Amino acid sequence: MKSKIYIAGFVVLLMAVSCTNLDETLYDTIETKDFGKNPVEVERMVGAAYSYLRGFQDEDGLNCFPTSELVYFLNLTTSDEACIPTRGSDWFDGGRYQRAQRHEWQTTDAPILSAWKYAYHGITRINAIMFEVSLTELEESTKETIYSELRGLRAYYYYLLLDWFGNVPIITEFGQENVPNSSRLEVFDFVESELLDVKGDLYDGVAYGRFSQNVAHTLLARLYVNAEVFTGTQRWQDCIDMCERVIGYSLEPNYFTSFLTENQVSNEIIFAIPYDHNEQTVGNFMNSMSLHYNQNQAYPGPFQWSANGMSAQPGVYSKFDENDVRRNAMKEGPQFIYGTSNLIQTPDGDLVYTEEISNFENAKQYEGVRLYKYEVRDDEQWERDHDFVVMRYAEVLMMQAECYVRLGYPESARPFITQVRERAGLEVPQDITLAFLDNEYLKEFLFEGIRRNVNIRFGTWFEPWWEKGSTPQYRGIFPIPQAELELNPNLTQNPEY
Amino acid sequence: MKFIQQTLTKVIYRHVCLILALLVYSLNAYAQDSEINVTGTVIDNEGYPLAGASLVIEGTTRGTVTDSDGNFTLDILPGTVLQVSFISFESKQVLINENTNLPLRITMVHDVLTLNETVIVAVGYGTMRRGDLTGSIASVSGDKLREGVITSTEQILQGRIAGLSVVQGGGDPTKGASLRLRGGTSLTASSDPLVVVDGIPGVDINTIHPSDVVSVDVLKDASAAAIYGSRGANGVIIVTTNREVKGKAVNYSGSISIGQAANQLDLLSANQWRARVRDENIVSAVDYGGNTNWQEELLRTSITQSHNVAFSNIGEDSGFRASINYMDNQGVIERSNLERIGASLSAFQKGLNNKLRLEVGLTTNYDQWHPLRSETVAGTGNERYTMFERIYNLNPTVPVYDSEGKFTRVAGTLVDNPVEINNNRSAKDKRNRLLAYAKTELELLPGLTSTTNLSFGLNSHKSNQYLPSYAVMGGESENGWAQKTLAESTYKQIESFVTYDHTYDVHRINLLGGYSFLENFYEGFGAHNRNFDSDFFKYHRLQAGQGLRSGDVYSYKSANRLVSFFGRANYSYDGKYMATATLRRDGSSRFGANEKWGLFPSGSLAWRISGENFMDATSAWLENLKLRLGYGVTGNQDAVPSYRSLATYDAGNIKYYDATSQTWVFAFSPSQNANPDLKWESTEQINIGLDFALFRRVTGVVEVYQKTTKDLLYNYQVPATQYPVDRLLANVGELSNKGIELTLNAAILRNRSLTWDVDFTLAHNQLTIEKLSNDTYQTDDVPAGNLHGLPGLSGIYSQVLKEGQTIGTFVDGTGNILGDAQPDLNLSLNMYFSYRNFDASLATYGMLGQKVLNATAMVLSGSERFPSQNVLKNYFDLPQDVSSTEVSDYWVEDASFLRLQSVTLGYTLPALGDWFERARVYVTGENLFVLTNYSGIDPEINYTGLDHPGIDMLNYYPRPRALTFGVNLTF
Repeated sequence: MKSKIYIAGFVVLLMAVSCTNLDETLYDTIETKDFGKNPVEVERMVGAAYSYLRGFQDEDGLNCFPTSELVYFLNLTTSDEACIPTRGSDWFDGGRYQRAQRHEWQTTDAPILSAWKYAYHGITRINAIMFEVSLTELEESTKETIYSELRGLRAYYYYLLLDWFGNVPIITEFGQENVPNSSRLEVFDFVESELLDVKGDLYDGVAYGRFSQNVAHTLLARLYVNAEVFTGTQRWQDCIDMCERVIGYSLEPNYFTSFLTENQVSNEIIFAIPYDHNEQTVGNFMNSMSLHYNQNQAYPGPFQWSANGMSAQPGVYSKFDENDVRRNAMKEGPQFIYGTSNLIQTPDGDLVYTEEISNFENAKQYEGVRLYKYEVRDDEQWERDHDFVVMRYAEVLMMQAECYVRLGYPESARPFITQVRERAGLEVPQDITLAFLDNEYLKEFLFEGIRRNVNIRFGTWFEPWWEKGSTPQYRGIFPIPQAELELNPNLTQNPEY
Repeated sequence: MKFIQQTLTKVIYRHVCLILALLVYSLNAYAQDSEINVTGTVIDNEGYPLAGASLVIEGTTRGTVTDSDGNFTLDILPGTVLQVSFISFESKQVLINENTNLPLRITMVHDVLTLNETVIVAVGYGTMRRGDLTGSIASVSGDKLREGVITSTEQILQGRIAGLSVVQGGGDPTKGASLRLRGGTSLTASSDPLVVVDGIPGVDINTIHPSDVVSVDVLKDASAAAIYGSRGANGVIIVTTNREVKGKAVNYSGSISIGQAANQLDLLSANQWRARVRDENIVSAVDYGGNTNWQEELLRTSITQSHNVAFSNIGEDSGFRASINYMDNQGVIERSNLERIGASLSAFQKGLNNKLRLEVGLTTNYDQWHPLRSETVAGTGNERYTMFERIYNLNPTVPVYDSEGKFTRVAGTLVDNPVEINNNRSAKDKRNRLLAYAKTELELLPGLTSTTNLSFGLNSHKSNQYLPSYAVMGGESENGWAQKTLAESTYKQIESFVTYDHTYDVHRINLLGGYSFLENFYEGFGAHNRNFDSDFFKYHRLQAGQGLRSGDVYSYKSANRLVSFFGRANYSYDGKYMATATLRRDGSSRFGANEKWGLFPSGSLAWRISGENFMDATSAWLENLKLRLGYGVTGNQDAVPSYRSLATYDAGNIKYYDATSQTWVFAFSPSQNANPDLKWESTEQINIGLDFALFRRVTGVVEVYQKTTKDLLYNYQVPATQYPVDRLLANVGELSNKGIELTLNAAILRNRSLTWDVDFTLAHNQLTIEKLSNDTYQTDDVPAGNLHGLPGLSGIYSQVLKEGQTIGTFVDGTGNILGDAQPDLNLSLNMYFSYRNFDASLATYGMLGQKVLNATAMVLSGSERFPSQNVLKNYFDLPQDVSSTEVSDYWVEDASFLRLQSVTLGYTLPALGDWFERARVYVTGENLFVLTNYSGIDPEINYTGLDHPGIDMLNYYPRPRALTFGVNLTF
């Protein structure tokens, strides 16, 4: 009987000593509250803000990358320099690119949501990082310096929102719920005051891929050159003042130096988003989106398949002077199998890129000239290694030229224009007019993503062009994406959408 | 027991000097001198002799089998009992003594199905007689499980249990079937039932070899499953293996099967392609001069074999059982196969005057296989076989090999040579499963037993791949690409409980109280490298590659714990009124800080109406009528992954370019939002059941149930303005399953030597998404069934997740509902015959009313396909108004089917001298035909889960039609 009691006791004991501790034991991930304990950890938290510039793919598989998704599908297709024709069943995608071309986009169109998500993803992550930094034990002054750089970067995202959507919520702190829209004027004032406030704390030299004082000045110049569009008030002189503060850069003698795979060597690039597929960067595949499927046959190495999408809008290629070196940013004409004089074949016939596109809704596979601006190597991968150029010095020159013309001093514009034109191998015309500048912007910044902005500023946006009729004034900004309206009850749709 | 002791004593007394010999020879040899020779005949109740009836001397393994005239002869000690048994007859005991009249005339009576009521059923932490059950538990015994080629253990349950749907979405020997009991209960998590093997919950069912399974009990309703609390919401499958069969036995079972693809797509042959090109005068068509049937090029006749040896010696106070098995399962696609070697060993010993029982066991198996090449579809995360799309795309005039004997390569998209793809890659996957346990049972007081069960499980999966430098895909090559990965999950579990059984007069009570602790670990690592200067090393020397990139090396580990307290009380009055109540409290480390503990109660009542006096009038034909009513709450804790309630940072994931050092460095970034309210999904279920037995011929069960799952987890989109990550896992939604099930078991014929049994099941289940939003988290109709990655269908969603609809609801581009992927009815019809020494069985199952989107046909109907790519023969008959790039009712087909799963014919040989006691040979034909209107390869498409329920995704591994020859030998 005694042994039974012992054994019974043992069983009870076994149950009692057994664990009831239910705290999580973490191994391969770290709780937010346990991180940021030393300066290096803080640096890595802050550094993450730069990685967000490359965008992301959301959990629904929606690509929110700044290169092809935003620049191509939104800024380029809606502008007068490019289009994505439907070819058979390819690139129909529910009609979204046809609507973009015709300025008939809907509030549910994916590229619009991509743009919104890209910007707010960056903003909220920056807010979260600032919140996490505030919890660390760093010196207050050190924290302020970190905040300044992060606020500058945040202002860049707000600039994008100001341009795309106009009236957006201004969220400056992590965890703010259901913030209503601010007016476009308020957003403009916010971007301006943030940049003016932080720029003194920013790095004042030439630093590649970092939000420096030069980047802040260039961004302010962009803000002022578009001030009339954004606010109704002209700020041409302010733009010139900011441009003059951008120091330490010059035009590269070769136009294409800024678009090399190793384009960090360019002394012209003010701000770029660095990429290197060996470092697992994702989202940089603009050329891949443009060249024909079989273009890889033109290369000796194992060259990646391309997607045969984006083309220059008909009429763009022929705008270029034959001697304009910048025309080489496009691929036109016959394409040969590597090492032979045999034409690459497509199901529609020989691969000869033509400027004309016979039918926007069912184009031949070979129609449309293609993007060829960034260097294309023989063994190119889908993910490209060149950095994506966001701001370069030519734009600072062009903005100054434009502002002088706008202020009525076209001759003061000449030295700036001369630099740009000479590098392209061209003369400067007698009369420097706005129409001339409009064309020059197209040629200099082809496929770089600023054309939509220029179209709106010069008013051509609202006029008919290829496969597009007149655009009503309210479509000068995009609608707030429907999905976001549903998530935040305090959001108001932009007028007339 | 007493007999053995007496005999032993006698023997030891008489033959002390021969003790050594005793160990060598069998005991019986020394008892012969006082035995008498018994002769006799075994007959049935109509007087016909029974050939092959088995006679065994009780307490020994000695015995014989009747000859073709029913005669036998056997030497027996007087005063012993002879056990006589024959399939489908009630076993009989005959006491033999000096006065027994010889020759014996033993009359056997056909067994009757009402005996079911005394069958012991596993109920979780114990067993009960079927007659005492209050909850819904369906059972199937080992001899009625599926025969033939079993690639994955759960397949033995296919078409056996009403409400348990076992769907095999193709013929890949490395892929298991998906199990669903009474519909799915979750949107985001697994809806797999909990598998309990010999009392150990959470075992991978494939640890167990099918031939080791003696019975399977399925706890269907919440009142039965509630004892498993937060692990029980999807039902519980209790597997009992071959451990308690008394006596000494050696058994061999083996089979060999020959299989071929049962069906293929009807594509154009080269000559048909040429005729069409000629007729249409398509000048641009390129004829490559070959004559290739690309499907045939990759298909083969598969040969599968399986061998299993088991032996056991189980006595009253100790025993062991050992088994070893080997299987080589070939797929019908070249190179695809799965080899498995497994072994199992268990032993028990009693002590403390039989009050203590100790048992240990170890079961392990090792698989290795060649996985077919597959790719992850960008943007969806789904795996797809690489070859099928290319098999269908390639023009039939393209020869497999070019004039130089190399694989032909054609320029273009998705037209890589599938034979090359299947041949140029080296790949080997290996998996080791292990289950070890130690069990202690101690009778503390009469009726009071304490049990402690310690178990450890391991599932370790290694994978190796090498793509040689000459492998090119879509024009891209990595110049050699090698990968090695290891993923390992382990668990430790302690279960300790006390049971008390007491019968007093007409009262019977059974009490249970226990505690359980479970800890799971998941860890792994992997590495890949590229750019190899030599193909020699394959995946054996990753460091020889010259192209290591950031992110090519990784590892991970996570863990979670579950702590449970549980109790159950059963009361039965006079075998007429029964009540059960259970309560379980579960705490999990995975739940959020505010919701660490959950409570899972249940209660059920049963009334044996046929036991009442007023039913005397019907007792002649209505042997049993029992009404059951149950209610309970169960949970699905597996819906919550480890750490998901916490806000976390990720490292080593993304890099940024550091302007100061001009190098790339890893950033730390938020990977997850916090949700301290995160908890299990909870399922309430009401079940009403009626058991009946009629005319000593038919037993049946009718059940009606309603399940409501609340706190459904879904990954909600949260405003990017408030959360660092744009999704948050939250308990919001609600879904319901309502259904009715019918099970009928009939002994249609029981005369002379012929028996005919029929099992029939019918189940209807209606799954409805009731709610997806609440005040905090909203989601609209969620697009689902993403066809991304299929040519021409990128960005097209074919389904919608919507309140009031079911999972897998098809919609067209304008939102019109086109039906859904859930079957209205699951049915099965199994028959068992025996005639003298012959036995035969037939198994059919089917699903009715479900729809399948034939995305395969959509892609193969693409308007630009012909003549550059191959097409279906009916390509040119596509109606004008049907678009191949839009989901419409043309493509959403009715996929109702009825499959003749197997037909078996067996013959049992009488004992052959000393060679063997019993031998059965059989032949099984599998997947003999399918009745369906579905136009694709096979209508049985997986309809579970959220990813692609009911979508035929250009990815169907053909299911084999197989012929199996097998033998079971008992020595």
